Amino acid sequence: MTKGMRTRSMGRVLAAAAVSLLLAAATGCSRSQPPGQPTGASGPSPGPSAGEGQVLRFTIDYTKDREAEVQAIVADLRKIGIEVSARLWEKQTLLDAAKTGEREAYTTDWGSSTFSPYDLAIPKLKTGDRGNFSHYSNPEVDRLFEVGSFGATEEERRQAYFKVQEILKEDAPWIFGYFRMTVEAASARVKGYRPALDSRMNLHDVSLEGGDTLVVGLLTNALQSLDPANHRDRETETVIRNIYDGLVTRTPDGKVVPELAESWQTDDNKVWTFTLRQGVRFHDGTPMTAEDVVFTFERTLSPTGIDGQPSPRAGLLGPLEKVEKVDERTVRFTLSQPFPEFLQLLPHHQIVSKAYVEKVGSAGLSERPNGTGPFKFVSGRLDGEVILERFDDYYGGAPDLPPVGPPPLRRVVFRMMPDPASRVSALKAGDVHIIQAVPVDAVPDLEQDPAIQVLTAEGTRLYMIELNNKVFTDRRVRQALNYAINWDAILSAVYGGTAQRVPTAMLPSGFGYNPDVQPYPYDPDKARELLREAGYQVR
Amino acid sequence: MRTAVRILQRVLGAVPLLLALVIATFVFVRMIPGDPVDILLGQGGNVSAAEVAALRQSLGLDEPIQVQLARFLRGLLEGDLGHSFWQRQPVARLLVTTLPATVELALAALFFALAIGIPVGILSAVRPGSLLDRLAMATSFLGISMPAFWAGLMLMFLFAVKLRWLPSVGRLDPALDLRPVTGFLVLDSLLTGNWPALRSALSHLVLPGLTLGLELMAIVARVMRSSMLEALQQDYIRFARAKGVSGWSAVLRHALPNALVPTVTVVGLQMGVLLGGNMVVETVFAWPGLGRLVVGAIFARDYAVVQGAVLLYAATFVLANLLVDILYAYLNPKLSL
Amino acid sequence: MSLRRQFLPLLGLAVVLLYVLAAILAPYLAPYPPDEVNLPMRLRPIGTPGHPLGTDHLGADLLSRVLFGARVSILVGVLAVSLSLAVGASLGAVAGYFGGWVDGVFSRFADLLMGFPYLLFTLFAMAILGPGIANLVLALSFKGWVEFFRLTRGEVMSEKTREYVLAARALGRSPAAIIAGEILPNIRHSLLVLATLRMGYLIVMEATLSFLGLGVPPDVPAWGSMVAAGREYMVSAWWIAMVPGLAVVGLVLSINLFGEGLREALDPRLRSL
Repeated sequence: MTKGMRTRSMGRVLAAAAVSLLLAAATGCSRSQPPGQPTGASGPSPGPSAGEGQVLRFTIDYTKDREAEVQAIVADLRKIGIEVSARLWEKQTLLDAAKTGEREAYTTDWGSSTFSPYDLAIPKLKTGDRGNFSHYSNPEVDRLFEVGSFGATEEERRQAYFKVQEILKEDAPWIFGYFRMTVEAASARVKGYRPALDSRMNLHDVSLEGGDTLVVGLLTNALQSLDPANHRDRETETVIRNIYDGLVTRTPDGKVVPELAESWQTDDNKVWTFTLRQGVRFHDGTPMTAEDVVFTFERTLSPTGIDGQPSPRAGLLGPLEKVEKVDERTVRFTLSQPFPEFLQLLPHHQIVSKAYVEKVGSAGLSERPNGTGPFKFVSGRLDGEVILERFDDYYGGAPDLPPVGPPPLRRVVFRMMPDPASRVSALKAGDVHIIQAVPVDAVPDLEQDPAIQVLTAEGTRLYMIELNNKVFTDRRVRQALNYAINWDAILSAVYGGTAQRVPTAMLPSGFGYNPDVQPYPYDPDKARELLREAGYQVR
Repeated sequence: MRTAVRILQRVLGAVPLLLALVIATFVFVRMIPGDPVDILLGQGGNVSAAEVAALRQSLGLDEPIQVQLARFLRGLLEGDLGHSFWQRQPVARLLVTTLPATVELALAALFFALAIGIPVGILSAVRPGSLLDRLAMATSFLGISMPAFWAGLMLMFLFAVKLRWLPSVGRLDPALDLRPVTGFLVLDSLLTGNWPALRSALSHLVLPGLTLGLELMAIVARVMRSSMLEALQQDYIRFARAKGVSGWSAVLRHALPNALVPTVTVVGLQMGVLLGGNMVVETVFAWPGLGRLVVGAIFARDYAVVQGAVLLYAATFVLANLLVDILYAYLNPKLSL
Repeated sequence: MSLRRQFLPLLGLAVVLLYVLAAILAPYLAPYPPDEVNLPMRLRPIGTPGHPLGTDHLGADLLSRVLFGARVSILVGVLAVSLSLAVGASLGAVAGYFGGWVDGVFSRFADLLMGFPYLLFTLFAMAILGPGIANLVLALSFKGWVEFFRLTRGEVMSEKTREYVLAARALGRSPAAIIAGEILPNIRHSLLVLATLRMGYLIVMEATLSFLGLGVPPDVPAWGSMVAAGREYMVSAWWIAMVPGLAVVGLVLSINLFGEGLREALDPRLRSL
């Protein structure tokens, strides 16, 4: 009896506690939430017509990877009286919403692989282009982009891009951001390794002191394929480039140098002729021929090249129209229009064997790759690890990337390790020898470890906060936002020394970068002034 | 014979449920905002609208959802689960190559749960109220209350990062050669007589296996204890003891078989814990199994993979339940299936 | 029941009440606002002056975040259990009382939901709904009601043949009145026990979702997302993941101990944890 009573009163206590808690927690949560709900397309009610004393109010949408930075930015903006709130999104969901123009400001990033605005500033800012989530449109910029991509001389193109950067800085379509260093780390036993600007790893010239099996911890969850024409992924290409070689490759500094081609020639940037290296063999022992090269590119161009499906890499061929064999050692590429960046696209295409692919199909190629690269495939799984072994008949690799010859490593393992902490601890434990994407906070610790070397290269991905230009119609407001953020302090606190500001939408490592255009300085007074001019209240 | 018919009936009876599940998944996964084409192309590069359209068409995403569903169901009849657009291979193959890792991990978890849970349960029941009993039962609550993601991280931190006794992630030391036979690494290394690989595979199983098995272990210990207590109260045990059958012999020979019945049932019903928990544990330990595959596929909007994986989860769930019933009937012949 | 066996459930209740108190008084107890970013003070260890539990990767005070995190966990747990209970018990009572096709429809639907692993289903729901507290409660309840449905349905089915129900029926009382007035009071203990035991489970689930990045947004401090944030700093700053995890374990353990005590006292027939 007493037992029953006691437990019944226990239940009552619980119920009472729950109710009081509900009330308390409900008030508490609304308090800790940032002021101002996302307002959608109606936006921050901007425009010069806005009445005096109106508060600028908007939401920055961000994804998990930009959390720290955005929190600090919010603090900076609130300092001058902007009522800004921040909202976390899952990446693809945010992208979808930004594309339709229903958001106000959002963190985005865009990767480039041509070291030119062709696949960075242009898709991001040309009117209506695929990556133009800021809905920015400026006919003059569009025209200059055209000249920059297809202009007759290099100087003409460069000047066009220079001018674009001046206009962009004035127009301030985004809150301009930064690029990050590619930070990798390796065991001190790893010799001859340098991270590349294009972030693909070339292990041909690498050796391991006191061992011949090198394990690489990749940041991805799963590779897409081991067929060089059937993926669209950097990490996949890293693995593939160690199995297959291309006509040309890049030095770690981003320069295009011959690989399977000995040389090339073009008069008009429209017809490109490549002379092939002789004596190159595929892993199955057959020699590489001009037919293989033609087949490789036709397969990528064809809408049914990959077992009846189009290749996701067709877009990485620019305006390529036709590939033909001239003679046993010469191949000619014809483009539909002069395209100076063509050479920068070619390192992203690797040569496959015509006979082999016709025999096993694209699925078979991915399962048992057959390339001309320094390592041949042994076994592996796309979402586990891929094991490669030295190819003893390797022709030696690009002459511009010494040493030339067979790779020193006997065996290479690429392991998918999406969790950064796992990558770091596996490196420290000696389970892997090179890891991608070291988290910034692990850097100081790793730098102190004598058994580990931290390696960096400039990244080719641009990070920014895009403004919806249909909502932020007043240029002064957009400029004010650029003045109001103390980027240098934020970047050094959040990313250590591993992020660097850019003045506009172009990278210093890319073609046409204008060194005379400087980033917006941190100038809260200027920001206040601009906002006041635009009719907003400031603090 | 009659049993076989019953089993067949049960299996066929599950088909409508599985179908409903997979259709629900088909719809759900398409309700998640985000465009697979964007994911495939990544945030970068210069891609023409024509190429985007061609890719969309090649993924079959340009058609209305009911057309896509009809095509998917037609494929299902022929055993075709569709293509992973991210991993660019048939889903069925992807699942088949992923499953051994998951099953191996689940078996390891089951092993830990039973190998620790059952003896602890028996010992607690034999000396109820003892220090050991109280300690074991309190600990078992901890096992139930600990989130797997945290337990896994802490185990990893302690045994892999700090003490370096065990490997932190993956299934096998990559420096080792192991010829794949079945995809079960422990089995493969046994079959090929590869002892270093066996050692490595087993040591990689310890931390994720323990993490995944923790909750089940606690449950097994508790159920084992209570059913053992009950069995020990039965007349025939008292009788056997009275007749001079020694204590442990009575416990192990007479009480244990009876006490195992509820344990088997609970273990079977809790197979869902092993399956549902593996998403977290596989993510923490970078274990290349079904759980990590499906979490990755949801974030990548890899529709076909999510559909296939849910089907597999559900089928395993149905099968596990059936297995429990069969085992139950076998252990307890009075009941029919 | 011996005093010793009462000790643990009472301890559990006491700890739960402490958590509740901490959640209510968080604004007064917490030394800092939970989302105050202080980048120069990031990654300070446990025992730093002014930050007894250290700071996280943004320099926010961990003690303050843990205190405020209690609000999310308890709020989500209580709301999700209440919603699941309300929906599950109502549908279960209807299905159990009327039987027939009504029962068939609901039961098949429940079977369908049982086929999904809980986490997977909730992941779906959160991916569709987007992060947020209300969405979390909804997502957890979408499947959470099934347990209550099954319990209520079974109990109502067996109760409705009992004499007191037959008597009420003979008196001409409506089914609604009979379910609400006669049957539910008789099974409320079972429901209360189940609700308590499910609460711990749902809190773990909330933490897991937040850990996977599909829970509440990180400017609302939740223990799961705090562990997730700390995961990247396990090597250099282990306390960021350790502290909020301990908070989850403490709360869930106490709820479970209390729930188990309730079960033994009120409804020994119900399956133990």
